[in-house]
Amino acid sequence: MNIVILFLLLAGIGVSLLSGTADGVLAALQSGASDAINTVLRLSGAYLIWMGLLNIAEKAGLIRTLSRLLSPALSLLFPNAGKAKEAISLNLAANMLGMGNAATPYGLRAMRLLNESNPHPGVATNEMCTLLVVNASCLELFPATLVGLRASCGSVRPLAVVVPTLLSSFAATLVAVMLCLTFTRQCRSRS
Amino acid sequence: MPVAILIILLLVYAAFRRVNIFQAFCEGAAQAIPLMKTILPTLAVFSAAMAVFRASGAFDLLSSFLSPALNVLGVDPALVPLLVVRPFSGSAALAALSDIFTQYGPDSRTGLTASVLLGSSETVFYTLALYFGSVGIKKTRFAVPAALLSLFTSVVTGLLLSSLFFD
Repeated sequence: MNIVILFLLLAGIGVSLLSGTADGVLAALQSGASDAINTVLRLSGAYLIWMGLLNIAEKAGLIRTLSRLLSPALSLLFPNAGKAKEAISLNLAANMLGMGNAATPYGLRAMRLLNESNPHPGVATNEMCTLLVVNASCLELFPATLVGLRASCGSVRPLAVVVPTLLSSFAATLVAVMLCLTFTRQCRSRS
Repeated sequence: MPVAILIILLLVYAAFRRVNIFQAFCEGAAQAIPLMKTILPTLAVFSAAMAVFRASGAFDLLSSFLSPALNVLGVDPALVPLLVVRPFSGSAALAALSDIFTQYGPDSRTGLTASVLLGSSETVFYTLALYFGSVGIKKTRFAVPAALLSLFTSVVTGLLLSSLFFD
């Protein structure tokens, strides 16, 4: 990220100097930064409403229900998860409901529990790798932030992207799961 | 319509489970404020850098330089900033998406494709650093290649599905 920002700034300011528009640099920087406030304000509606609704969902036990539904699939993906299994399923359930903030603490707890039974500290176990890969490709059941930002930017069809988004993230998650299963199987047959 | 039904179902279910809906909603919404505070600095830096990059003409230079290669792949050069920052920072990706919405509109082909790309991918490197960093993992084994392949899949299917759905 550091390199990306540095590149954008150096290239932007450099080209302005060369093309003689360097006086506009400060104005562009400041208007860009205040655009950030606008973006946050545009997101605020989606964040406030969805985080409110999702907290209702959590209080109603929806994460627990979903994590119970996920548990057979998880036994296949994480055969040696042991006591980390509950945290893993809560992490994935929260991610699927689009509650990234609720998901992270569960994910970190799962990592810690997995690490406790790690025979080689510093080397990721199969379960740790799988947890990471599934988190890095996570299937969200409804992309609320995205739809909210689209709507507040004046889209007449904010929901038009939902189906392709779900299909595409499903494909990514499927690939992630297949790769994890292949790698872990290979490791087990070798050992 | 489907969202409205989802919300009704959630509220009815929660009321049935005797959740204090007002209180639970307020507690959840309260968490949105620190979240917005956290993302603002990243958004500001990225938006400012992006604004200079665009206003100076550097963006046009880069896209005309990249467009022959990107045209072969069928990728709109306007999507490049989003694709570059997506694996590193969710906030910067939101800034890139919002920049695309301002420049081209959320319902333009670029805006629609960008939405699908952002919605179907994750901040792979950030997740990696956070999760493995928390337990001091140095050897990540198959996690990085598998996560990157999954990211690559989401980009390819995102582009393909966009041309299927939006053309």
